[in-house]
Amino acid sequence: MTQADVIAKLQTLFDTVFLEPVVLTPTLSAKDVPEWDSLVHVSLVVLVEKTFSVHFRVGEVETTRNIGEFADLILKRKQEP
Amino acid sequence: MELKNIEALKSLLLKDDPEFWRRLQTLTGEGRDFDDLFLLSSLRKKAHARQLACPAMAQEKVRLAILGGCSLYPFHELLEHFCETAGVACEVWLGDYDNYIAEIMDQSSGLYAFAPHIALLLPSEQRCRYSGSLSDSRQMQQAEAGKVVESLLELARKIHDKSRAEVLLANFLLPSRHDLGAYRSRTLGSDWSFRKWVNLELGLNAPAFVHICDLEFLAHRLGGTQARDERAWFESKQPCSAALLVELAREAAHLIGSLRQPPKKVLVMDLDNTLWGGIIAEEGLEGVELGDTSPRGEAFKAFQKYILSLKQRGVLLAVCSKNEQAKAAEVFEKHPEMVLRMDDIVSFKVNWEPKSENIRQMAAELNLGLDSFVFVDDSPAEIEIVRQFAPEVATLLLGPDPAGYVGQLQDCRWFEPRTITAEDSARTDQYLSEARRKALQSSVTDMNAYLESLGMEAILSEFTAVDVPRLSQLINKSNQFNLTTRRRTEADIQALMKDPAYIGFSARLKDRFGDQGLISIVIGRQQGQTMHIDTWLMSCRVLKRQVEDEVLNELARLAVRRGCARLQGVYLPTAKNEMVRDFYSRMGFTLTSENEQRREFELTMKSFQPVATKIKVTRQAYDPS
Repeated sequence: MTQADVIAKLQTLFDTVFLEPVVLTPTLSAKDVPEWDSLVHVSLVVLVEKTFSVHFRVGEVETTRNIGEFADLILKRKQEP
Repeated sequence: MELKNIEALKSLLLKDDPEFWRRLQTLTGEGRDFDDLFLLSSLRKKAHARQLACPAMAQEKVRLAILGGCSLYPFHELLEHFCETAGVACEVWLGDYDNYIAEIMDQSSGLYAFAPHIALLLPSEQRCRYSGSLSDSRQMQQAEAGKVVESLLELARKIHDKSRAEVLLANFLLPSRHDLGAYRSRTLGSDWSFRKWVNLELGLNAPAFVHICDLEFLAHRLGGTQARDERAWFESKQPCSAALLVELAREAAHLIGSLRQPPKKVLVMDLDNTLWGGIIAEEGLEGVELGDTSPRGEAFKAFQKYILSLKQRGVLLAVCSKNEQAKAAEVFEKHPEMVLRMDDIVSFKVNWEPKSENIRQMAAELNLGLDSFVFVDDSPAEIEIVRQFAPEVATLLLGPDPAGYVGQLQDCRWFEPRTITAEDSARTDQYLSEARRKALQSSVTDMNAYLESLGMEAILSEFTAVDVPRLSQLINKSNQFNLTTRRRTEADIQALMKDPAYIGFSARLKDRFGDQGLISIVIGRQQGQTMHIDTWLMSCRVLKRQVEDEVLNELARLAVRRGCARLQGVYLPTAKNEMVRDFYSRMGFTLTSENEQRREFELTMKSFQPVATKIKVTRQAYDPS
């Protein structure tokens, strides 16, 4: 799985969650999407964990600055045994 | 849930197909995982944004305040979702994170400006912990637990006193780690014992306006270690795991719904492979599986025992089976292992007619709405017929294994009592004596002689404190003979009893066949020389028994004594109270105004003559002159 694969899968999730269409790119960040506030973020993380079968460690999601870094984090946690 | 379900729902939405809502409701009912429900809720919001035509909400919006010692998002979103898909639209006010004590104590807080109908409080787990040492005396530990309970109930009372809101109070999660080992249950100082104690005391001491949202039970059902999520607490102050959050929201929505809707009243049962194993017409009395001689027989007997316990809680039992009447009746009369007997059954419809028709007939005979019925059968085809032709009836399709029957019925949530009154358990007896009374009616041709022969005695009583639960129960469940269908909580009734502008009385009726219990309620509000009839309702069991005449006599007597010159009555139509549309005219009132929403009537006291009846009346509590 590459970063692009992860982003493509994230795109279908975002399409369901957000009312306004959002096109995901590696440089897109939460502040670019009006609906992506800290509240939706909480649910989104649970959703992403379930979809990709990963488990993030405490505090690490908020250190990612954009979709690219978020996708990389998903890949990193996915490679763990 | 499979992703294809969500995708199918999404395509309905993109086609603006109103079928979306029905499908959303079904998937929400089946949904267990947080991510599924979060997606369903997102799609629901999208549907609103696209203005997809949605089914009308029957009632006014419920103003719901949520307060707590944790983050209330995404909890409130799930709760709104469950409420809306259950047909209850909510307007939500959210408290600030862990600010509930100030919000409740401060009269000028946003909570009270919002004027909630219902307030849900999720108290802080951190405040439910023994502060001393594990080895302190039990008295000290108990005293501290008592203080936690008292302070929470005090907060609930404050909310209720200041806003009249019903309060949903969540209790506390228990620990799920091995910490302390077996010692945890040898002291009240451990979180485990301390919280168990607090939870028990909360439930046992909660006043009627407090409804416990049993987080301890929900976590137990889910599994303790699945119930918590430490990371979610550190990162965003979530009270529990996402999985438990779903169950908590579902439970809160259920409680909100049950505050508005009365529980079901009748359980209609199939016979073959429902109450016993096998087919009676083929296998005969000796051949059916029932009783302690085989595991399958034991399972069916256990199901009957549970059903009998429902009867003791006030549920009416009825039978509807495609069978030979005589053979089926013989099992009830002669099988030594039968738990349910003919005396337990208020209606026994064993024939070859469609079950939907049989249930309709039962509803007519028992004077109950179809929406009071639950039908249980092991055959998908029979369930489907009832769903299609009597859609108001709730149905339960039993699974393939009778060992699961009790659990299925216990989890269906249709017969949950709020307060059990003594009259609930007497109800079957009332309906059975009604059957005998009808037999007498058919043998006596002269109506007056019939009424005379009943030897009826009524007690008319001013509202009394001890009757409040029964008054509230009847006010909230009467639909047909109910002129205004105004619902009231126990607290509302207590407030009204203290208000000098109001009069309120109830009627009880008994006759030589049995005690009908409390069967009619009237509330009047005096304004100058006019007595407005705020509420007039009666149980349909006692129709045509002259109770309404005696009630009017009494109402007139009270009005005149208070110096009123007229009674003013209003009929507010609902889907169910057509039968009293012309009630006031029949009682001698004059129609004074009329439109789609209301019909108003008046009766002048000067011209009123009390009606003589066959009922012997006793007055209680107020001046009996």
